[in-house]
Amino acid sequence: MPRLIIDEREIEVPPGTKVIDAAERLGILIPRFCYHEGLGAVGACRMCAVQFVEGPVKGLQMSCMVDAQDGMVVSTSHEEAVEFRRFIIECLMLNHPHDCPVCDEGGQCLLQDETVSGGHGLRRYQGKKRTYRDQYLGELIAHEMNRCIHCYRCSRFYQEFSGYRDLGPLQIANRVFYGRFKDGPLESPFSGNLVDICPTGVYTDKPSRYKARRWDLQRTPSVCIHCSLGCNTVANARYREVVRVEARFSGEVNGHFICDRGRFGFPYTNLPGRPRTARTAGGECSQGEAVAAAAEKLREISSTFGPQAVACFGSSRNSLETQCMLKRICRLQGWQVPGFFVDPALERRVRAAVSLLDASAGVSMREVERADCVVAAGVDPVNEAPMLALAMRQAFRRGAEILVADPRPIFLPFPFIHVPVSMERMDSFLEGLARLAGESSDGTGVREADLLSQIVQNGGLASSDLPLPVSFCRALFGSQNPVVLCGTECVRESTLPAAAALARDLRKGRDRAGLLYVLPGANAFGAGLLNSQGHPGFSRLLESVESGSVRALIVTESDPLNDFCHRDRLLGTLGKLDLLVVMDFLDSETARMAHVFLPTTTHFESGSCFVNHEGRLQYAEAVHHGGIPIEQAGGGSHPPRVYRGDIPGEGPKAAWVILAELGRTLGIPDRDLLGLGPWSLIGEEIPSLKRLEGTVFPPEGIRILSDGDPVQWVQGPEARDGEDDRGAVPPGDFFEILLTHWTFGTEELSSRSGPLQKVEKEPYGMMHSDDARVLGFSEGDRIVLSLEGGQIRFRLSVADRMGRGVLVLPRHRKLAWRNIPEMPCFVPRDRIRREDS
Amino acid sequence: MHTETISPLPAKGRQLLVCRGTGCESQKANLIFGALKDEIFKAGLADDYKVKFTGCHGLCQMGPTVIVQPPGTFYCNVAPEDVAEIVKVDLVEGGKVDRLLFIDPQSKERVLTYHEMAYFNPQRRIVLRNCGFINPEDIDDYIEVGGYEGIRRALSLTPLEVIEEVKSSGLRGRGGGGFPTGTKWEFCNKSPGDQKYLICNADEGDPGAFMDRAVLEGDPHSVLEGMMIAGYAIGATKAYIYCRAEYPLAHERSLIAIDQATQRGYLGKGIFGSDFDFEIKVKLGAGAFVCGEETALMASIEGKRGMPMPRPPFPAVKGLFGKPTNINNVETFANIPVILTKGGDWFARVGTEKSKGTKVFALAGKINYSGLVEIPMGTSLRQIVDEIGGGIPNKRKFKAAQTGGPSGGCIPAEHFDIPMDYENLTQVGSIMGSGGLIVTDETTCMVDMAKFFLSFTQKESCGKCVQCRLGTKNMLETLTAISEGKATMEDLDLLLELAQDVKAGSLCGLGQTAPNPVLSTIRYFRDEYEAHILRKECPARVCRSLIKFQVNEAACTMCGSCFKACPVGAITWQKKQPAHIDKEKCIKCRSCILACKFHAID
Ligand SMILES: Cc1cc2nc3c(=O)[nH]c(=O)nc-3n(C[C@H](O)[C@H](O)[C@H](O)COP(=O)(O)O)c2cc1C
Ligand code: SF4
Ligand code: SF4
Ligand code: FES
Repeated sequence: MPRLIIDEREIEVPPGTKVIDAAERLGILIPRFCYHEGLGAVGACRMCAVQFVEGPVKGLQMSCMVDAQDGMVVSTSHEEAVEFRRFIIECLMLNHPHDCPVCDEGGQCLLQDETVSGGHGLRRYQGKKRTYRDQYLGELIAHEMNRCIHCYRCSRFYQEFSGYRDLGPLQIANRVFYGRFKDGPLESPFSGNLVDICPTGVYTDKPSRYKARRWDLQRTPSVCIHCSLGCNTVANARYREVVRVEARFSGEVNGHFICDRGRFGFPYTNLPGRPRTARTAGGECSQGEAVAAAAEKLREISSTFGPQAVACFGSSRNSLETQCMLKRICRLQGWQVPGFFVDPALERRVRAAVSLLDASAGVSMREVERADCVVAAGVDPVNEAPMLALAMRQAFRRGAEILVADPRPIFLPFPFIHVPVSMERMDSFLEGLARLAGESSDGTGVREADLLSQIVQNGGLASSDLPLPVSFCRALFGSQNPVVLCGTECVRESTLPAAAALARDLRKGRDRAGLLYVLPGANAFGAGLLNSQGHPGFSRLLESVESGSVRALIVTESDPLNDFCHRDRLLGTLGKLDLLVVMDFLDSETARMAHVFLPTTTHFESGSCFVNHEGRLQYAEAVHHGGIPIEQAGGGSHPPRVYRGDIPGEGPKAAWVILAELGRTLGIPDRDLLGLGPWSLIGEEIPSLKRLEGTVFPPEGIRILSDGDPVQWVQGPEARDGEDDRGAVPPGDFFEILLTHWTFGTEELSSRSGPLQKVEKEPYGMMHSDDARVLGFSEGDRIVLSLEGGQIRFRLSVADRMGRGVLVLPRHRKLAWRNIPEMPCFVPRDRIRREDS
Repeated sequence: MHTETISPLPAKGRQLLVCRGTGCESQKANLIFGALKDEIFKAGLADDYKVKFTGCHGLCQMGPTVIVQPPGTFYCNVAPEDVAEIVKVDLVEGGKVDRLLFIDPQSKERVLTYHEMAYFNPQRRIVLRNCGFINPEDIDDYIEVGGYEGIRRALSLTPLEVIEEVKSSGLRGRGGGGFPTGTKWEFCNKSPGDQKYLICNADEGDPGAFMDRAVLEGDPHSVLEGMMIAGYAIGATKAYIYCRAEYPLAHERSLIAIDQATQRGYLGKGIFGSDFDFEIKVKLGAGAFVCGEETALMASIEGKRGMPMPRPPFPAVKGLFGKPTNINNVETFANIPVILTKGGDWFARVGTEKSKGTKVFALAGKINYSGLVEIPMGTSLRQIVDEIGGGIPNKRKFKAAQTGGPSGGCIPAEHFDIPMDYENLTQVGSIMGSGGLIVTDETTCMVDMAKFFLSFTQKESCGKCVQCRLGTKNMLETLTAISEGKATMEDLDLLLELAQDVKAGSLCGLGQTAPNPVLSTIRYFRDEYEAHILRKECPARVCRSLIKFQVNEAACTMCGSCFKACPVGAITWQKKQPAHIDKEKCIKCRSCILACKFHAID
């Protein structure tokens, strides 16, 4: 390990460490613009110059370009270096418009900091400033090129790191311009990172422009809850309003970046229509009165029909505390075991996924970045878990081969092999790969051709559908650190163990082979952990309501009417209930039907735990106390002219606190509820997490996967009793409908964001061009799908690179997908027709 | 002229050589070529003469040219209408078309053949050995003069023996850096890698330089052969020629040559029956000067923005697509076949102690004959200017020569006798560079010249480094202020300070050398800068804002030349009267200043 001296202090660093990083370890922050840990060095800005006084490298050098080596003596304050840096910063400020007072970057601007640190104060230059015309880059990012200092961070992030090409450097010399060829919205769903990464104010967060000065913001470490990856964020609030969200570095989860869904998805917490007062049938009331009313009715139902007449329902956006409290109350009261997913098959898949992961298999996103071969089955990363696509891209950049098996048309920002295996045949495809992997680890040599033909048959593919499979198989054999990714939204339940088996087989003869499941929701893992064995499944629950055996339903931060397919049936069933209690921070349709409504806080207002896809328990701190944003409360006048002792709209409490109050009103002693404190509560409900009690919460979260046998860790779904959700394709000419997520416009919380609504696409359905041809359809046709639940109308888009016999529809709020009676759903061809015919 | 063809030029049969390089082609050389064939056919001489088109022979200024070989009769400025006369008078009647012969600038007499021309005589042509003599689009023509002998010999040696041969020749890279070629090959040979690449740098971005273009247009096979030898020596099986898109003819002829060589089995799998595979592709560059820099060039081939990266890692370790790569200049490669056939020792006997072989210069500026000249290293600047270039027009005095283009510097009159080689040029503050040679006389303003080069580099900076992007602009603004008489002596100091900063802080050669023209003109012509600053005067009368456009009656000889030159009639003059310029009408075009031989216009 190289040992060197920087500013008279010695340090030993791992080989390959740049001098600029070695200095940072000593707490010496060498000025820099272009160097960024996540993007590496290019040596463009020349700001990091230091003097190498002794050792293998001599003289003035860029510290971001030189590897630390034994015997180096480096001075950051050497006269020559200081003078050099002063010159640089003076040059960089020549063209700066000096508009800091109206620049959103002000206060967090590296250029401001380095101007001061470089010692530049007096402007000597008399010439004209270079100016540019700014571009319209869409609704999320504002562009102000005159502030640019040409560090190439934006283009390196946009093109090299994330793989999109529509923004980059144009022109040369003093005219270098960073932008698009033409004005227009940025194509990358990661564009918001430009805001974080630009060291000046060229790119600023458009929705939050001019809302607050940086130093006035309340800032807190938070966690993104718009998908199961759990990227780390910083929440920024001002005047009782979340103003913006930024990426927060996490070495294990998201690195330096987040996606635009996570960055711009938060406005649901500020919406003027957000319910902030409790309600009963008699109208608005206090939180306490509503709890009392609910308790009274519950007691009555329990005593008349028995406690099993009360059912509870949560969701995968519940905090872990809420999920645990829900389960606890149900147990203590003898109510039905709570469920968390409206689709029983999905609930089973989540439990299967959680039960199949253990510490030796589960991998974080950071580990995906380091994989040398990736197999993804039934997962559409950009749409389901966007940052996973960036992690895969980093693997690709390091030379990994990547294969995606999925019947949907898949886009990823890098070249990969797409095999459009149908969901039904996915398992056999993975088994085929596993056999290949097994053969190779036996060292018996591989008869590629034989095995390939097997895969082709198993996967139900014509061999022409397999682009470059042989080269991929070779890469898979040769890999040292392969990773298997698997989705849960669209796959069959049996695909989850098939993916785990592939990972297990790959692990033979290798140090490591990872497994990563993308789960449906920020805390789907928590829901799976609670192992709601005994929960009948949502459909059965509805049957019980319809038959009258269940008479009360408590819905906690969940909107079944949003998630459930057969909407009309659900509306009818909910109408039959004697009591519907809803707790939520959203003004949801289900909430509007509630007999008793209790407003809850968002995770920006109450600190909460979420467990991400890899079983990492992370804590999002509250950023503000809650209450109606001043802008709304004051009717636009600021400061508000009416002074009052309380905070308007501060009624909502965390869902788990409300649940505890309900429990206490029903007679459960407080020491069994809030008195436990969050850790004990979690430990009591999830026994395997008891060991965490008393743990100090580390910043990178706690990986709660056990090292042991995964089966003991948490139980997978029990064997099916008769009903088969394997989804065998019915005989005849059918289309399988795949309901999918889109990056923007489908996820429950972020689709309420005004800025993202401006970015989302209009919904359309997709099918293979061959299928379209047979049906006589073409691109852009208006199609009607007639189902028992009603009709679904959409525009058709055709593709070649997707499976045949599938119709892909987004869960878009503008599409009537809830007319689908049940998933999986197979429709005969004659139910699909063009609208005019 | 001494041409180092590998086999002597074929003696049998007579040839008519029509130059169809870019310069001549643009003046209807294609029509001349066609007309010659017709006329010869009509004259019944088709069996006696072979009409051949060739690449450039160097003296572009006198083009289009037709050479009757033997004896080497050199017809200049030929027009298609002249062809019939040439055939009739020269070929049929055995005379000469006097009016098309070259006139010696000194003796003012007509010169019959190129052998006697002062322009060609002192030259020694190794690189340009075939240019102007063979048909660049016919591989057999190249083979006939000994082409592809070098690669045959190379394949009979081991790669390390080939490298030894090149090392013993002392050949240094002609792309500007002057790095020993054999040593460079050795690095790449020793560098581990499953795939290696070879690149021929034909980006030639220096303003005014066109030697690489001439070689690719006139003798593309010699470059291919040089590349094959290099590929074999370093173990590269794939090669690129990176040719700027502004060279369509060079591009086309390279493609034709590659095609022909592939058909013969000289390129492709197992070339010349050996087990060595070698393929060459041509990649077009979009004409950014910085793309001639090797790391930017490789980025450009990879489809990325052409922007330099720091070295190390050197291309020999991590080059194109991350693989070991060797990159050489066109002229460097063109030397290689000769070294392999005639031997490194033979080559090392040409030139000076540390600079071996010859160098091709693109001679331009205030000189009678501009064009390409190839001279042995060590030839004096005076010989190049006075003898080969025919001296400076209008009997003006030599002031300085600028070598190395925008990266180089000037050589003032006091060093007129300097032997041109790498060491001497560096010592006087200039560089060999890629071969630009611009001659100046007292009508050249050194501030203006520095400004010209700096505005070129300033515009061509890739924009990556702060100093190069902004420092050069700052320097240019200061220079402009000086040329407009708006600067102070402090500005001159600032200029020097900026020059040092730009040199020190830039990543690649472009920025590191951009201040050189400024520094060297300040070094030798500080008085001119001071004249601009202190006296608000441009001694050479070039910087328009400082010219008064006023006749100095004391100096005026009343000759009336200015009166005749003025395009807008702003000058009044009568015999025996000094001229007078009407400032209202004057458009400041400087025609009068250029016309006045007595420096009488202020
Ligand atoms: C700004 C810049 C421009 C250059 N342009 C050229 C060029 O046009 N042609 C060339 O051969 N070398 C050029 N070079 C030099 C190349 O980087 C490289 O050194 C050369 O091609 C190596 O070949 P050699 O060893 O045969 O000289 C340039 C260098 C710089 C810094
Ligand atoms: S826009 Fe920002 S990130 Fe891009 S080069 Fe300019 S200063 Fe750097
Ligand atoms: S010195 Fe100039 S041309 Fe070279 S990398 Fe830097 S900015 Fe680009
Ligand atoms: S940080 Fe080192 S050159 Fe920019």
